[in-house]
Parts: sequence; structure tokens; C-alpha cells
Amino acid sequence: MIISDFLGSRVYGQDFLGFVSDVRFMLESGPVSQEAQFYGIIVSPHARSSSLGFERSGVRSPWPIAALVRWRHRGSFLVRWGDIELLDIDRIQLRPGFERGSPELR
Amino acid sequence: MTGGRDDQAARWLDAQLHLLDRQVLDAHGVPMAVVDDLELSDVPVGQRIPVDAPPPVITALLSGPVLATRIFGGRPPDSRMQRTPWTAVVEVGVVIKLAVDQDTRDVAWTERWVRDHIIGRIPGGRHIPEREPNDHPENGERGGS
Repeated sequence: MIISDFLGSRVYGQDFLGFVSDVRFMLESGPVSQEAQFYGIIVSPHARSSSLGFERSGVRSPWPIAALVRWRHRGSFLVRWGDIELLDIDRIQLRPGFERGSPELR
Repeated sequence: MTGGRDDQAARWLDAQLHLLDRQVLDAHGVPMAVVDDLELSDVPVGQRIPVDAPPPVITALLSGPVLATRIFGGRPPDSRMQRTPWTAVVEVGVVIKLAVDQDTRDVAWTERWVRDHIIGRIPGGRHIPEREPNDHPENGERGGS
């Protein structure tokens, strides 16, 4: 599977929750030569597009763009791999009782 | 943020923010491609994922003719996408650096073809620029101005 197959996909819990705006990977201890594991998806209730790096905590400028992007992606949350029940083309189903994590990137 | 537990020492990469559309440089710093997509290891598409299923990993960076499909939708045939294995990546920053030479990768075949069949047939196209007599010695390494 390639990642563009599910960037922008619709995400459902019991109801429609939003779109996949990014996919987060984890390198366990830093060096890039190791495996980059799928950690989770960032779900944006209103926008399919990327948040242009403004999901990084502390990025607040230029403020008009930061404000606009944060407004577009308001209510975004992170869902970990373990809470994904089904991955399909343009549809991702989450498990009942999934956890919403913070999408902020430090 | 993202984690808790044992995630403190981890490094995070967001696909759109850190990887897609990044320039890829080979072991000598020569630009060889742009990351157009990422290939993941076995993901059960359209099937229920077991609770204890291990997470997929990135297996390769993909580069190919994606301009038209980004505008009009769809995706290029798999055969048109060139793979660079993730194991060749040594650094992810403003650019993505690899440990391999571009001459060993299929992704740079167009560069090599243009070099061998077009640039190489232009008189003077098979050597570096020659120095002019009035060049400053410090410019010598660059072959003159």
C-alpha cells in the first residue's frame, strides 16, 4: 500500500469524524537508519489538507497564516495504529472506544 | 503530545510535513529525486485489522510522474514509480540524504540518459569547464568563472 491511498481518506467511528490530514511515523530512538513505524493518523474534522507544519507546538508565526491553518484544522486529533479497525481506500474505520490523542508535534 | 510510555526518546516523522515532496540527495550530495509517495509494508487493506497486529513500516520512498494524477486524481501505474529502499536513508532534514550513489538507482535513469545521449554529444560536454587564462587561482577548483 502507498500512503497517498489513505491521505485525505474519510475516517469513521460510529459516525463520520473527519479526514486523514497526515500520517505519523515513529523512529524508536532517533537514528533514521532504523524502521519508521506507522504510529497513527491525524484526523482533521474539517480539512483534508496538510496543516503545513503548524501542528508543531510553538509555531505561531506568521500569525495570520497560523491562525487560518489552526482554524481550518480545529478539533484535529491523533489516533494510534492500535485504534484503527479497518483501512480501506478512502475509508478508515476506528475501533469502538478509540482514544483521541493530541496531534501536536514537539 | 503523541505518546507517553516509552515514546520519550522517539523521533516523530509526519508524512506530509517531513517526507513528501522532499528533495532526495545521494551519498555525494547530488540531487536524484523527490519523494512523491511512501510505500508501506503489509497493510491489510479492506480487512479487519487484529488488535495485536504490528504496525506497518515504511519500506521505500517512491518517485515518479505524479503531476497529472495530483491535478486530475488517480495514481500512476506501479511500474512507473521508482523505489528507493528506506534502509538507504541516513538523514531526514530539509532534504533526505541517502547512503547510495545515484548511478546505482533506477530513479536517476533519466539524468544518466540525458547526460550520455545529449549532453555528452555536445562538443566539450564530456569534461569540466576549462580555465580561462585570467582566472583567479582561487577559482581554479570550480574551473573558472
